[in-house]
Amino acid sequence: MTAMIEARHLSKQVATSEGQLVILKDISLSIDAAEAVAIVGVSGSGKSTLLGLMAGLDSASGGDMLLDGQNLSTMDEEERAQLRGRSVGFVFQSFQLLPSLTALENVMLPIELKNDRDARQKAANLLQRVGLESRLQHYPNQLSGGEQQRVAIARAFASQAKILFADEPTGNLDAATGARVIDLLFSLNAEFGTTLVLVTHDDRLAQRCGRMVRLVAGEITEDVSVDVAANVGDAAHV
Amino acid sequence: MSESAQTVSASATTLMRVALRLLWRDWRGGELRLLLLAMVMAVTSVSGIALFTDRLERALVQESATMLAADRVLSGRQQPPREWLQEAAQRGLATAEVQAFASMVFSDQGNLLVAAKAVSEAYPLRGELRVSDQPFGAAYTDNDGPARGEVWVESRVLPGLGIDVGDTLYVGDGEFVVSRVLVQEPDRQQGGMMDNAGPRVLMHLDDVPVTNIIQPGSRVSYRYLFAGELAALDVYADWVREQSDGDFRLRDVRDESQEVSEALARGESFLLLGSLFAVLLAGIAIALTARRYSERHFDYAAIMKTLGCTSNQISAIYFGILLSLLIIAVVVGSLLGWLVHEGILILLQTVIPIALPAASLTPFWLGALTAFICLFAFAMPPLLALKHTSPLRVLRKDLVDAPLSTALPYVFGIAGALVLIVWYSQDLLISVILVGAVAGVALLLSAMSYLLLRTGSAAGMRAGSAWMLAMSAVRRRRRQSVLQVLVFSLTIMSLLILALLRTDLINDWQAQLPEDTPNHFMMNISDSQVAGMQTFLQENEVDANPFYPMVSAGLLTVNGAPAPHPWDDDDDEQGRSTMTERSGDNDRDADADRQDTEAGGADATDRPQRVENRQVTWTAQLPPDNEVVAGSWWAEQSIPGRVSVERDYAERIDVNLGDELVFRVNEQEVTAIVDNMRTVRWDNMQPNFFFIFSPGTLDHLGATYLSTLLLEGQEKLLLNDLLRQFPTIVVLEVDALIEQIQSIIAQVSSAIELIAGLVLIAGALVLLSCVNATLDERFRENAILRTLGAGRKLIMTSLLIEFAFIGLLAGVIATVGAELSLYYLQSEVFQQEFALHYWVWIAGPLAGTVIIAGLGFAATRKVVNSSPLAVLRQLSA
Repeated sequence: MTAMIEARHLSKQVATSEGQLVILKDISLSIDAAEAVAIVGVSGSGKSTLLGLMAGLDSASGGDMLLDGQNLSTMDEEERAQLRGRSVGFVFQSFQLLPSLTALENVMLPIELKNDRDARQKAANLLQRVGLESRLQHYPNQLSGGEQQRVAIARAFASQAKILFADEPTGNLDAATGARVIDLLFSLNAEFGTTLVLVTHDDRLAQRCGRMVRLVAGEITEDVSVDVAANVGDAAHV
Repeated sequence: MSESAQTVSASATTLMRVALRLLWRDWRGGELRLLLLAMVMAVTSVSGIALFTDRLERALVQESATMLAADRVLSGRQQPPREWLQEAAQRGLATAEVQAFASMVFSDQGNLLVAAKAVSEAYPLRGELRVSDQPFGAAYTDNDGPARGEVWVESRVLPGLGIDVGDTLYVGDGEFVVSRVLVQEPDRQQGGMMDNAGPRVLMHLDDVPVTNIIQPGSRVSYRYLFAGELAALDVYADWVREQSDGDFRLRDVRDESQEVSEALARGESFLLLGSLFAVLLAGIAIALTARRYSERHFDYAAIMKTLGCTSNQISAIYFGILLSLLIIAVVVGSLLGWLVHEGILILLQTVIPIALPAASLTPFWLGALTAFICLFAFAMPPLLALKHTSPLRVLRKDLVDAPLSTALPYVFGIAGALVLIVWYSQDLLISVILVGAVAGVALLLSAMSYLLLRTGSAAGMRAGSAWMLAMSAVRRRRRQSVLQVLVFSLTIMSLLILALLRTDLINDWQAQLPEDTPNHFMMNISDSQVAGMQTFLQENEVDANPFYPMVSAGLLTVNGAPAPHPWDDDDDEQGRSTMTERSGDNDRDADADRQDTEAGGADATDRPQRVENRQVTWTAQLPPDNEVVAGSWWAEQSIPGRVSVERDYAERIDVNLGDELVFRVNEQEVTAIVDNMRTVRWDNMQPNFFFIFSPGTLDHLGATYLSTLLLEGQEKLLLNDLLRQFPTIVVLEVDALIEQIQSIIAQVSSAIELIAGLVLIAGALVLLSCVNATLDERFRENAILRTLGAGRKLIMTSLLIEFAFIGLLAGVIATVGAELSLYYLQSEVFQQEFALHYWVWIAGPLAGTVIIAGLGFAATRKVVNSSPLAVLRQLSA
């Protein structure tokens, strides 16, 4: 099986007033197509940075990042954007819906960007799929947090992405709502056969993925399948 | 290849669709209202003002053309070559021919000096001849002119010769029947001496040879009249200039009346300055609102990038938004501009008596082009900077620099402003003054912002906590505070400049031609007639004005050396002939150089001794509108042999206080010492003199007298009795000219008021956008402050102090900047005397404080009134 996502000796440093700050060092990781991987770690461990690099939102300081067989490290921002448009979907902690567009228009946007003439119909179907068929014409600020995240999920699947990156998708939601959103995310993921990379600090959520990668201070300290993770998760905390 | 091209083209429509959708949503959300409003404002003010001035100018040109009876007049002391007339006809121009000369005419009962004018059949090419069948009878239009063997005469000729309509009159050897009474001819005022010699007798051109009056050496003003398309006229004018060697002068109406053209030129300068201010202010508002809009769209751009939008696609989307805005702004702005100018026209119905010609399309192009420049210079840079937004922003806002931190928008903005200024003013001087003022303000600001931070913190330590909060807010938003002070002071400065200029211009004009300006000149009054005329005026209850003695004097030497010729290096200045000089033409020496002005003939540069004759007077009292600027006016019991010289003229002939001048007056030499220098209001249409002598110097040299009268409506009939009783005097009627100038001034004044109003709206827009620009941050800060327990009163007081402080600073800077700019504008562009406007030094800072504090407080009050939790939740979303 070919790797959908592959990081080779990836590193990221940023310049601060107190010198170079190392955020990620020597990350090597391979994720197969249709695999669901959770990246866990405490705040500041470098999870979101790693997600940004894997999704091509940022460029690495060193190493190679391959996405869908293409080396992001050798691409410029324009090429990365095109690749994102083709292959990548996102779900963010803060939803990141465009506040001036309706729910329907938010979901239509990535479809339209692919010049798909059926954008409206496809978007409406997806919103129906996430249970928001009665909210098509609502603006984000007229929706609850859970509803906004469901719109975001519909948008993420709208572009028929091969890879879905989710950054703390339940971080802004209460437990019950978060659980419903996660159910939805996983069921759609299974349905579309998407590769899922989920960043969270919530171990219980991570256990729903087939594999868990733990970051501590910018390094991978664990990379285990979920069954194993259930057993060794507590030990890792000791 | 073809596939990718297809993708790109398909993308363009998609992107445009996305752009339109964002545009529509942002419009509904109110995000774009200020931006669009500012752009509409720019287009409205430009197209409205341009439409108005375009039509007014066309009207004035048309109206003025009637003052010439043609679009262009070629004149000379000799007959211009006949081929020139044919050439003009071949170029599709209408032509007519005029010969004007002074002549005695006779009847069986008497004789009279008249201003005779012979015209070809096509005369007049512009305007109308109004005639009646009896003296002072009902007038009607007859543009055919007198037939051969007939003359048309002004009413006054008939009593002067003791004849009636239908009687015979002799001009030289010719015998003519008086067939009509001439009530009005379009170019009555234009001929100088030839037309002012007396009442008019109009005859057919072909009758001139019969009279045998014109002999070699006769003083005749020959004129060819032309009318037609502007372009053809210009081409023909160039052709004539190539042929003529300066022997003949081709004039249009601008050359004719200095009073009119000065009023117009100043008015146009003001309108231009006003619309420039309006556009620049709108430009600032556009820049500010576009910046805020783009700041709010960083996240949009980042999200769209995560969805696969490339930088170029982001640019395309925002370019699409701007393009749509541009189209809307141009359409709406042009429409509003049309309404604005129609509004002005309705307001001015009473002062614009003539029907205005239709507007050209030019004003709309101007508006559209202005919007385009504004858009590219002010709105485009911050919006296009959005393409540099990092998509990482969706994950880590704190890590990502805002793409607006570059200097690019400023560079574009300043370049755009410069382009607009130079383009609008077409005048480097105004541009330099404006740019200088802005640069000065910017410099002042940098210095002051530094001080602001220092004193702000020091004072904060000592003062109460609201003050401290306000000062720390000013310090914290240092860049924004400086920007706000800059924008506020530029806005207030523009408004101050316009308000002060407007007041000064209008006051100046009102002083130039007050309501009771005398509108008739009486000349050629002999010493013995003065008392009789004064009695006549008293009996008829007409206010008499001073009778000025007047002689023609030529300056021979200055301190023993031959007097320099005053107009050697600037022929145009010859146009500066006062009403006195023009009216005095009729008794001027035949060899005076100034004859060139009315005859347009060859400049007599090859004459060995050029003596310029001027009409001079003597008086014990300083005439009104004269001001002594060096030396002092002579006392009641003055010593003879003193002369007062007009300042600019003195400079031209290099004369100083105490110099000894020798004049030739009626073949006698008179010596006088320069006792003082005066400034004179040349444009007040009143008797003005370059030289005024002390009483006793010229009294024995045989002067005639000059006086003025105010006669309105029916009072004009008095002229007939006056002329019957004093047949030798000459009356020059300038009422039509004064009315015309007053009407032009009224029009221009109203336009000025309107422009000032437009600029005020533009200014308010800027202030509003500037306050709005900091709103998000204020919401956040004040929500946090209130969460931490700060009371509403404390925050509100601190807001008030903050804005008042910024307003005060802006007011002070604006006042300094306005006075500096006004100094240059008034002395260099508007030819006015500059005086400090003391009240502004209090009003400026006060207005700045009150307006900015009020506006800022009103706009940010909702910051305090909304729940902190709601604010924080909304901002974090």
